This record gives sequence, structure tokens and C-alpha cells, in this order.
Amino acid sequence: MKPDDIPEDMPEDIPEDMPENISGDDSEETVQVPNLDPAFKYEVMRNEGAGGLKYCFACGACTASCPIHEIDHGFDPRKLARMVQLGMKDEVLSSPLIWYCSACRNCEQHCPQSVEFFNILNVLKNMAAEKGYAPYAWVVQTRHLMRTGMVFRTDEAWETRRKALSLPPLQLDGEKVRELIELSGLDELIVKKRP
Amino acid sequence: MPSDSKDKRIGVFICHCGKNIAGGVDIEALLQSIRETPGVKFVAENRYSCSEDGQIDIQNAIQDQELDRVIIAACAPSLHLMTFQRCGESAGIEPSFVDLIDIRKWTMHGNPEKVDPDEALERSKKLIKQAVKRMSLKRVIPQVVVKTEPSVLVIGGGVAGLEAALDLADKGYEVNLVERLPTIGGKMALLYKVFPTNDCAPCILAPKTAYANIHPGINLLTYSEVTAVEGYIGNFSVKVTRKPRYINEDSCTGCGLCVEKCPQKVIDSVYSAGIGERKAIYIPYDLAIPKKAVIDDENCLYMKTGACRLCEDECPTDAIDFDQESRTIELKAGAIIVATGFDEYNPTEKTEYGYDRYDNVITQYQLARILDIDGPTKGKLLRPSDGKEPQNIAMIQCVGSRDENTNEYCSSICCMYALKHAQIIREMVLPDTEIYICYIDMRTAGKNFEAYYRRTRELGINFIRGRPGEIIEETDTKNLIMKVEDPDLGRLLNLEVEMVVLSCATLPSEGTEQLSGILGTALDENGFYQEVHPKLRPVETNVRGIYICGAAQGPKDIPDSIVQAKAAASCVDGELRKGEIKLPEFIVKTTGPDKEG
Ligand SMILES: Cc1cc2nc3c(=O)[nH]c(=O)nc-3n(C[C@H](O)[C@H](O)[C@H](O)COP(=O)(O)OP(=O)(O)OC[C@H]3O[C@@H](n4cnc5c(N)ncnc54)[C@H](O)[C@@H]3O)c2cc1C
Ligand code: SF4
Ligand code: SF4
Ligand code: SF4
Ligand code: SF4
Repeated sequence: MKPDDIPEDMPEDIPEDMPENISGDDSEETVQVPNLDPAFKYEVMRNEGAGGLKYCFACGACTASCPIHEIDHGFDPRKLARMVQLGMKDEVLSSPLIWYCSACRNCEQHCPQSVEFFNILNVLKNMAAEKGYAPYAWVVQTRHLMRTGMVFRTDEAWETRRKALSLPPLQLDGEKVRELIELSGLDELIVKKRP
Repeated sequence: MPSDSKDKRIGVFICHCGKNIAGGVDIEALLQSIRETPGVKFVAENRYSCSEDGQIDIQNAIQDQELDRVIIAACAPSLHLMTFQRCGESAGIEPSFVDLIDIRKWTMHGNPEKVDPDEALERSKKLIKQAVKRMSLKRVIPQVVVKTEPSVLVIGGGVAGLEAALDLADKGYEVNLVERLPTIGGKMALLYKVFPTNDCAPCILAPKTAYANIHPGINLLTYSEVTAVEGYIGNFSVKVTRKPRYINEDSCTGCGLCVEKCPQKVIDSVYSAGIGERKAIYIPYDLAIPKKAVIDDENCLYMKTGACRLCEDECPTDAIDFDQESRTIELKAGAIIVATGFDEYNPTEKTEYGYDRYDNVITQYQLARILDIDGPTKGKLLRPSDGKEPQNIAMIQCVGSRDENTNEYCSSICCMYALKHAQIIREMVLPDTEIYICYIDMRTAGKNFEAYYRRTRELGINFIRGRPGEIIEETDTKNLIMKVEDPDLGRLLNLEVEMVVLSCATLPSEGTEQLSGILGTALDENGFYQEVHPKLRPVETNVRGIYICGAAQGPKDIPDSIVQAKAAASCVDGELRKGEIKLPEFIVKTTGPDKEG
């Protein structure tokens, strides 16, 4: 993929169904078990590092140690693990919550069953992206990364400050990163549309 | 030996038991009051009467004060009376002149009988004064030495009874093993596989049943029941009623030709838990010991109508004998071990689960029989309603257990056997069937049991920490629908499955009340045999010489049943090995074969 092929971050790219405030899974609806997908947990566990999920006994140590849960109770590692175990595939993959993780891996540190919940979340995120559920912010960020090799946007002020500090100008070329991203197949995911 | 005509010199010792007693009653006030009690020659306190120091203080006081009777106000006699009797005896006091009274139950933290300190003081004063009065009236209880029978009666031929019988027979005792059913082996013989190792139950039991069958020291009395017991330790006399098998056991070879011929089919509620059928003449199962036929006289056509006797024509050894009658034999026993086991709770009264109304709701014991490749379905797991393989199964834990409306106790084995059945189904029977285990707490406390639970999770079994309120049957499909609250999700689940298995409570076996009446032994509040002390004397009963083991004492698994069986056998050996025993004369006179009056 050439830099020119990467779509611009167009505001109209924002999908309409993207909720404004994506906090909290406060669904109180009864879960219809016959409509769930009991094979989902196996699909998840097949992935590298995610096999520990089968040992989860819902103790909640992960939730109790998660900094994101502290800020937003809607994000609850134990509940997410449970939802996967029960086969709540659509609800989990379409949930914005799985993208909240700060990657601190506290959950993994504290889990008495060595579940490595962080890895499970990554698997879920890949599956979600595959279905086009990746959040807009993440898509835009990845595109930017591919173009410039930078995670954050740069503007002229940066250049001026770098000059003042006698630093060389930025080489805004994402070639190496692009290669990596293409190798991982991520480039295909970012152009996927939400279902 | 001090005579009882001499002036009585009674000493009273009040124990602090650290703070257990001293923290709940005013010891000073108690000492004062007892000092003033008529008949008391000496009063002292000990920090711990039972400690070495405490016992030396008591012995010194006996010598210095020339005491001839002592009362210790401390803890329960079942705990320490023997300690103080030995302590007194070595200072020259007749054991029956040593008394221990329990004032600790009113003062100790955590005791359900604890009362406030004023009340404890009043009660303690009263109890000690009564003990002083009683002691002043006591006479020496004459002891006699009697010979003991070198034989033991074991009631119940399950794994616990078998283990105890084999242990004792190997030690040289003559054992009579009385089993109510036509075969020995109990429940274990019918379990297919057993946790926590999942080895084949009949295979690991067979060495015991087979050995018991040929052991020269064991006399198997199957299809028999104990109907009367008299006597005392060392010298029990027992009546055993032998039900007629209508088969001459010596000539029956177990060939099964008679069974094939018999036209009368009957639902087998014992050996196949109501799942399968047998004939009116039957051999319980392939590995049955003894492997002899038996005629069920309630269902035999000849017995009911006077015509048939097809089996008789078929038998190559003329073993069938329609004239057999029930007969009673008499046995001697030095000691008795009760190992009558348990029964599974019938969940019909829990109407919310529809056990008697819905075809596809069964119990775990029934499932155990279904999974058994030698069982009524040859190991095929099919829905009773339509013979289809169930795509999903829910197990409901604690049915009739931990429930104030039925049985308040935890049955302790059902979490483990639910895990076992889930593993067997997943690994050997229906690998694609989803299994949901609805539980309250998962109790897997035994050795290697937690690994067993983890292993079950590894197989992808679903665990839901909630108890379904009610099961509704879908009329067309006969599927079962229930709502369960899943606290881990914070939501209600609507679960629809093709089959439900109820993990039912473990009850004392049928007839326990009757047998305990015959034996004079006590039952606990749940109807199991009551041990003397739950921690320190777990296999002894209130009757010296009668011991308990296995599920008869309370719900338990095989490992614990074996441990208790060995403990009971060791208690028996301890009492009988000398061949004689010293007993209070009144016991021999009032309960012996030549009792007076
Ligand atoms: C579904 C199920 C699965 C289980 N799975 C396992 C397992 O995998 N592993 C494990 O460790 N445990 C398991 N258990 C528990 C196990 O069955 C018991 O621990 C064991 O059977 C107890 O042995 P017992 O000899 O005390 O009693 P029982 O096996 O009940 O034997 C008692 C015997 O006494 C006889 N009897 C009763 N009353 C009289 C009387 N009045 N006179 C003469 N005889 C009498 C009975 O007929 C019976 O033969 C399971 C239990 C159930 C219900
Ligand atoms: S790694 Fe993610 S889910 Fe785990 S504790 Fe950290 S933020 Fe929470
Ligand atoms: S800490 Fe581990 S076992 Fe406990 S709920 Fe979280 S993932 Fe499950
Ligand atoms: S009674 Fe006769 S026919 Fe029946 S099993 Fe015994 S030997 Fe065979
Ligand atoms: S062992 Fe488990 S299922 Fe059985 S009563 Fe106890 S908690 Fe309930």
C-alpha cells in the first residue's frame, strides 16, 4: 500500500451508529441462552495466549485490579470473560468496551488461574476489527501511523519547537511501520466498514 | 481401695480453661460459694486442670488433704473424664469417685449454649452442688472381668463395611457380614467411574468383594437383616433374618439360563435406579458377588398366580427351590460395626423441578447408571422422552441439600460427582453436548479435588453460580426451560436444555431409625448415626462396642469411608485383642444373656 492509497481522515468517515458516550454495559435484558454461540469460547481460546480462559472461575481479581474499571465500571474484565464463556459473541464483539483496556496487564498479574485476560482482549479486538467493529479513533490513528510513522498528529508548531531545540526535522515517513502493518494484515482491517 | 463407709472427703477443682471459663464467669464468687457447700472438704482452682501442672496439683491435693473423691468443674466428660479418672487413679482414687462436670458450655466463646456471666455463675453453682450431693451418695461400682468373643458383626456390605470386615478378618477375627441386598458392594459397585482418579469403580472394588467372598474369616450373609441385638461389648448376641432367595446358593452357578426364560419383567429400582428392567428371577449384575440368582417373590408369576415355574425347568443344576422360607439365625459378636450407608434423596417434593412430571429430568444416581457401560442403557445417554441424544444438559446442584425446607446440611459429594459426570459425558459419551452446571458454591475440598474442578473447566463445561427457580417443560419438544440469575454477569439467563440432572441430597439409608432402635445407638439431628465426638471420637457410638463408618455416619466419599472403616476396625481390635475386658458389674448384669429381671 502506498501512502497515497491510505484514505484521508475524513470526518464523514465517522459511522453514524458510533455512540457518543460509549461507557457502560448496563443491559438488563435476559440473556437468551439458546441464541448464543457455545463454540465462541473455543474460537477465542484457539488463539495464541488465550487458552487460559477455560480456567476462569469468575473470582473477579482482574476486575478489582483493573485501573480502567476503577474509572468506568462499565468495563469489567470478569464480566467480559463470562460473556465469552457463555458464547455471547455478537454482544462482546460489537461492544465498544473491549477497546477500553489500557494494556497495563494488572489483570494478568493478579489472576489466580493464570488466565491472561489481556491476551484474550487482544484476540477479541482482532475478531471485532475483522467484523468491522474497530472504533473510529483507532482506525484514524492507525491510518495516521501508516502515513507518517507517528501515532500522534504533528503540526507546524512541532517543527518550530524542534528547530528551537536544535533537533533535526521530523522524517514523516511511515514506510517501515507500513511494512510491519501490512505483514500483520492490519491494513486490510482499517479499511473495513462497520457492519 | 477406699471403702464407702468411711467419712467422705470431697475435693472440688474449678478450671479456668485459660479464658474459656474464667472469661465468662466470676471464678472468685464460684469458689466462695462452693467452699461454703456442705460436704466439700477442699476447693481449689487450676488454670488448666488437664495440663500436667494441673493434674499434679490435683494429685498433691488428694494426698495433702486426704481426699477420697474429686469433682472437676471444667469441660465435657466425653472429652476429659478419662483424663481425670487416670489422674485420680494414680493418686489412689477409685475411677467412679472422679467426676467431671461441664460448666464451660455456658462460658466459652462460640458455644451455642453460652449465657451471660451472672446466669453462668448461677448455673455453675447449682451443677457443682448437685455433683457434690451425688458424689456423697456414690458407692463403689464393682467391676468384673469378662471374656470377649473373637468375632465381629459388620452390618452393611458397601465399601465401608467391606473394608472393615477385611481388616478385621485379616487380623484374625471371625466376621459375619450382613447385607440387606442380594449382593455386596453397595453403591460403589454401581458408580461406573469414581473421582478423583476416574478409575473404574467395579475394577477397584472387585478385589475387595472377591476377597471377602473367599476369605476364610468372613461369612457373607447377603439378603439378610439384623432383627435383634442383646448384650454388651465382648458379648453381643444377634439375630439375623435371612430372606429366602428361593435358590440353593451352593448349587447355583450363576449361568443365567433361568433369567432368560423368565417371562416376567419388572422395573429395576435398585440396581438400575428405575431406568431399566430386570426379570422376576434375576442376577443383579455381571460382577455381582455372590453371583447367584434370586427370585423376587413379590413379582414372580408362580408366587402370584400359582402357575409358571419355567425357570425351574431350565436350571441345569436344580438350584431353584420354591419351598425356601425366611429363617432366623443367631450369632455371637464381640463388637458390631454399622456401615449401612446412604440413599439418594427423592426430589419429587421439590415440585419446582418437576422430577415426577417431566420425562427428561433425572437424578445423578440415575445418570451414573445410564453412563455405566454395563448399566441399563449400556452407557448410551439418550433422552427418556424420545431416545434422542441431548444436545445440551443442565445439572442443578444442592437439590434437597443446604435447604431449610428439606435437609439443611451439605451432602458433600454431589459437587464432585457432578464434575465427574460432566467429564465423562464430554470425554467419552457426547463430546459436543453443552453442559451447564448451576451451583451455589463449588465444594471441592478433598485431596486433589481442586485439580479435578480445574480439569472440568478445561473441558469447557459451563458453570453458572445460580440456582434455577423453576423448570418449565416445553410441551412439544419436552425441552426444559429455566431462568437462572448469573451474578457474574449481573443478568438473568434464560436457559433451555434437552435434559436436566438433579444433584440430590444424601440421606441416611432407609431403615436407619429402625436399626438404631435395635442397637440402642443415637442418631444425629439429620438422622445419621451420632458419633461420640465429631472430632476426637468420630467412629464410636454411645454404646461401647458398637462403631460406625462410611456414609452411615454422614455424607461422605469413598476415601473418607475407607478411612473411617479402618478406624472402626482398629477400635474393635483395641477392645477385643486381649480376649477379656473389665466392665462395671451392672452392665453385665442388666444387659447380658443371663441378665437379672
Ligand atoms: C451418583 C453418585 C456418585 C458418586 N461418585 C463417587 C465417586 O466418584 N467417588 C467417591 O469417592 N464417592 C462417590 N460417591 C459416594 C459413594 O457412593 C459413597 O462414598 C460410598 O458408597 C459410601 O460407602 P458406604 O459403604 O458407607 O455406603 P453404601 O455404598 O451405601 O453401602 C451401604 C450398604 O449397606 C447396605 N445396608 C443398608 N442398610 C442395611 C441394613 N439395615 N442391613 C444390612 N445392610 C444394609 C446397603 O444395601 C449397602 O450395600 C457417589 C455417590 C453418588 C450418589
Ligand atoms: S490490562 Fe487492560 S483489562 Fe487488564 S487490568 Fe490493565 S486495563 Fe484492565
Ligand atoms: S482474575 Fe482470572 S479467574 Fe478471576 S475472574 Fe479474572 S480472569 Fe477469571
Ligand atoms: S438358578 Fe440355575 S439357571 Fe439360574 S443362574 Fe443359578 S444355576 Fe443358572
Ligand atoms: S456438595 Fe455441592 S452440590 Fe452437594 S450439597 Fe454440598 S454444595 Fe451442594
